[in-house]
Amino acid sequence: MSNGETTHSLSRSDKSGRVMTYAVLLCGAVVLLIPFVFMVSSSLKTEAEVAAGSISIIPKEVQWQNYPDSLEKMRFRSALANTVVITVLSVLGQILSSSLVGFGFARFRFRGRNILFMIMLSTMMLPAQVTMIPVFVLFRTLGWIDTFWPLIIPAWLASPFFVFMFRQFFAQVPEELMEAARIDGAGNWTIYWRLMMPLCGPVIAIVAIYTFMGAWNDFLGPLIYLNSPRNRTLALALAAFNGQYGITDAQQLMAASCVTMLPCIVLFFAAQKYFVESVAMTGLKS
Amino acid sequence: MTIAKALRSLLALAALLVIVWSFYDVGMRTWRGAGARRAVTLTVLHWGTPSEVEIMQSLVDRFEHEHPDIRIVRIHAGDYESKLKTMFAAGTPPDVFYLGYENLPEMAGMKLLTDLTPYIEKEKASGRGAWLDDFYPILMDAFRFDGEKTGKGPLYGLPKDFTTSLMYVNVDLFKEAGIPIPYEGWTWDEYEQDMKKIASLSHTKGRGEVYGGVLNTWPAVLRNILWCYGGDFFGESFRDVRLDDPGSIAAMEMIQRTRFIDHSVFNATGLSKDGGQEFYTGNVGCIGPQGRWMTPRYRSITNFQWDVVPLPHQKRKVSMIFTVSWAMSASTRHPKESFELMKFLSGPEGQVMSAKLGLAIPSLQSIAHSQAFLDPDQKPKHTPIFLKEIAHSELAQNPRIRGFDDILNREVAEAIQFNRTTPMRAARAVENSWLAEINSPLQSKEYPPMRWDLIGGGTAALILAATALFWWRARRERIGPLDRRQERAGWMFIMPWILGFLVLTLGPMVLSLLLALTKWTALTPFTDARYVGFDNFAHMARYDEDFLQSLKVTFYYVLLAVPLGQIAALAVAVLMNNKVRGIGLFRTIYFVPSVVSGVALATLWLWIFNKDYGLLNTILWPVARWLGTTPPDWFGMDANLWAIPGFVLMGWWGVGAGMVIYLAGLKGVPTSLYEAATIDGAGAWRRFWNVTLPMLSPLIFYNLVMGIIGSFQIFTQAKVMTNGGPGNATLFYVLNLYRQAFELHKMGYASALAWVLFVIVLVLTLLVFRGSKNLVYYEGLKA
Repeated sequence: MSNGETTHSLSRSDKSGRVMTYAVLLCGAVVLLIPFVFMVSSSLKTEAEVAAGSISIIPKEVQWQNYPDSLEKMRFRSALANTVVITVLSVLGQILSSSLVGFGFARFRFRGRNILFMIMLSTMMLPAQVTMIPVFVLFRTLGWIDTFWPLIIPAWLASPFFVFMFRQFFAQVPEELMEAARIDGAGNWTIYWRLMMPLCGPVIAIVAIYTFMGAWNDFLGPLIYLNSPRNRTLALALAAFNGQYGITDAQQLMAASCVTMLPCIVLFFAAQKYFVESVAMTGLKS
Repeated sequence: MTIAKALRSLLALAALLVIVWSFYDVGMRTWRGAGARRAVTLTVLHWGTPSEVEIMQSLVDRFEHEHPDIRIVRIHAGDYESKLKTMFAAGTPPDVFYLGYENLPEMAGMKLLTDLTPYIEKEKASGRGAWLDDFYPILMDAFRFDGEKTGKGPLYGLPKDFTTSLMYVNVDLFKEAGIPIPYEGWTWDEYEQDMKKIASLSHTKGRGEVYGGVLNTWPAVLRNILWCYGGDFFGESFRDVRLDDPGSIAAMEMIQRTRFIDHSVFNATGLSKDGGQEFYTGNVGCIGPQGRWMTPRYRSITNFQWDVVPLPHQKRKVSMIFTVSWAMSASTRHPKESFELMKFLSGPEGQVMSAKLGLAIPSLQSIAHSQAFLDPDQKPKHTPIFLKEIAHSELAQNPRIRGFDDILNREVAEAIQFNRTTPMRAARAVENSWLAEINSPLQSKEYPPMRWDLIGGGTAALILAATALFWWRARRERIGPLDRRQERAGWMFIMPWILGFLVLTLGPMVLSLLLALTKWTALTPFTDARYVGFDNFAHMARYDEDFLQSLKVTFYYVLLAVPLGQIAALAVAVLMNNKVRGIGLFRTIYFVPSVVSGVALATLWLWIFNKDYGLLNTILWPVARWLGTTPPDWFGMDANLWAIPGFVLMGWWGVGAGMVIYLAGLKGVPTSLYEAATIDGAGAWRRFWNVTLPMLSPLIFYNLVMGIIGSFQIFTQAKVMTNGGPGNATLFYVLNLYRQAFELHKMGYASALAWVLFVIVLVLTLLVFRGSKNLVYYEGLKA
């Protein structure tokens, strides 16, 4: 009810509009899904069929065996546990730290704020490839190589990308709302936790999704920080299918990829309603 | 409704269980792992497919079992160069690692490797070293380097395995064209004739296009073809480029002829880098020069008979050796144990196992000639040819400075892939670029070491002074207690970022700025860096053609991708904000593409962007015909113009990620505004223009800034898909930066590149900030 398309009783033009909407939605969905369908179908083909570059959607003989085979090859169990631990801790840390910093930048007046904010934004422009080695040396000095800390701790120290996003949202909240809370005797922390956080449900959902995807699929970080096979993450395990002379067992790579991305899809499906059904946002309406 | 609810709770429960189990699992492993301690720990770095990893693991297990006091940390790297580089740069190189002989001159030249000669001699003196004589002599020579040339001098590696170069043939096609299979050898002239005969089978018996062959022409194998014609890359010295020799020219002309005049040889451009796929389809007569590594893949071919034949000869009969060894880093703390391990890993046991896998030829003669490798039940039937070719195989000499291959790729492609210039002109261009590279002050001048002590002290003093100044000014300014309280609270809230900034960003940034003034390989600790002043920037402007090219490519991409990407994301978000049945499912579908893994995608885009039968061009054909033209060969012949739009299209496919942000923003627009607008008689378009857009403006601004920053840093897609090719048509800025840093080992130069990019993006962003002042509408922002 809360979007631009105000709903009236179904007039004729509304009906045809709806049909149009569905048509556009369907077309787009088909285009976007083709590659995905291709992936799933490749994951069920034989090695020979995939290698020959077959483009048919239906496999000649369905090879369910590809799934258990590839999972065993990539040592799925420990890789999954490692990835889940890293991802969950990263998501929690990112939401907390970035929202705190975003709140600080949006709603407090302090000297140096604007300069600091510009500095923060500009740090995003330095390609990661260059700070990679100095940061690696730092974590090595701390003795954190082959542990999960280098992959988790940075998420607890706020990322500019998300701080900016939180700040843009906090900045939009009407000042009267905060004033009212202050008059009711709420301190900064209460305002942050009780008022601001519930208001920015959609942002939290986005930060969670983005961080989840980032941590789940991160390749370069685990590549340089993790050594022993038992510490491998899913992304590292996936890359192992890519041998020195190109991809071998592409069908197993496809199967492994499907399994790996499944949690991302499920999570998004579950979370997408928060983008548009955030109850808290209704507080802004009146 | 209740079913959906139940399903959701079930999912949540499952997620919770997985999370709890994961923490338990990791916790238990950490707990238990603390127990086992051994006296010596060795790290081993290697690459390989899952089957090779299995073999390695079982070897490591065996070794640990036989040596209870040695613990092995086996590291398998999906991106070997980056991993090896970071380990060396941090001063913790692996004790034992894979080393290809093409990298030997550079690594040995920097004194990163242990000379194995004393260990070999000791082994032989003790009477247990007889098996070391079983290695093919040419392979041992491949890992000797005297400071200038490969082949003599100290030994730096124990050969793990190797391959000779030859051709794979489609036996059925040869027979059908009436050509006897050239098991005993053939000439390149005969090759040309045979290719034509096979290509003439096109469109017979319901077949489509048939090609005589696929010629691999990446630098190393191209060199082999040049050798056959009496040519080479270099003469006696690496300053003497011999691509304009009659032999080299003849070889390149042959390639041009078969590809562009006879059309008998498939010209693999663009995304299909190797044409190996084409061989699989059964429509290609032969493919090569190629090593043993394709054998395991081709064993799954079922629709035709295949085999191997020697490489054609012309003036000379010669086959290039490709080999990888186990090497020991110079700084290992346990050389004796490392050598034990190397012996074991390159010993008979492991060689038998990998011989059965079929990826390479065992480096021990007795095993190469055993059933393990020559198993008559395994394809190809003529495997012995791999061994026969050793008789006239040769090693390639490679320069200590990297970069020749990149130049060669770029310039020679103009002739033999795009047919836009003559081999002679391409040869001259290679020579010019290469001489510019080795004559650049960065390569030829001697520089003093970087004074880290001075710089470090200076930097620390500077930072301290800045902080003190800031503090001092803050104290002097008079503000009320209320403001002071607010100030303190503000600082408290941004503390997590301040911490992260100081430790993870400012430090490394300052370091990278300092490194931009140095020459540093990143293979030695950065105390070894040399101070070059501003020569890195001078090199950029005067000697580096790739720099300008990468700027051009990147700007082209940013100009296209940022506006088009934002419009697409906003449009999809508006669409997704519709309240229709099943919209949740649609949202998910639109989001799915942005979570598909990059590696898995490569195959897919190949199929979509193919010039002839690709999905995209199939759709575009009618449109193009109507306009009186043909659809573009995206990543092939038309790459200079169309490859970047191709990347933009790929970006559209991931529109879901940007959509998510706009979708959340649309939710934040108060309904009352729309209602008011509707009452005032505004139509859907007016409402969008006058309500939605202004209300979304902070987000659009945000996405625009992020889009600019992100587009300048496009890397992963390009690395996986095109790696900068064809030619340098998709050499994005960060891809070039990565190449300079991790492939060409110029970390100092790469840091300079990074800072140039940083300044460019910063200036652009400031301009956007300036320009958006009056266009962005903040409702409650405190100024």
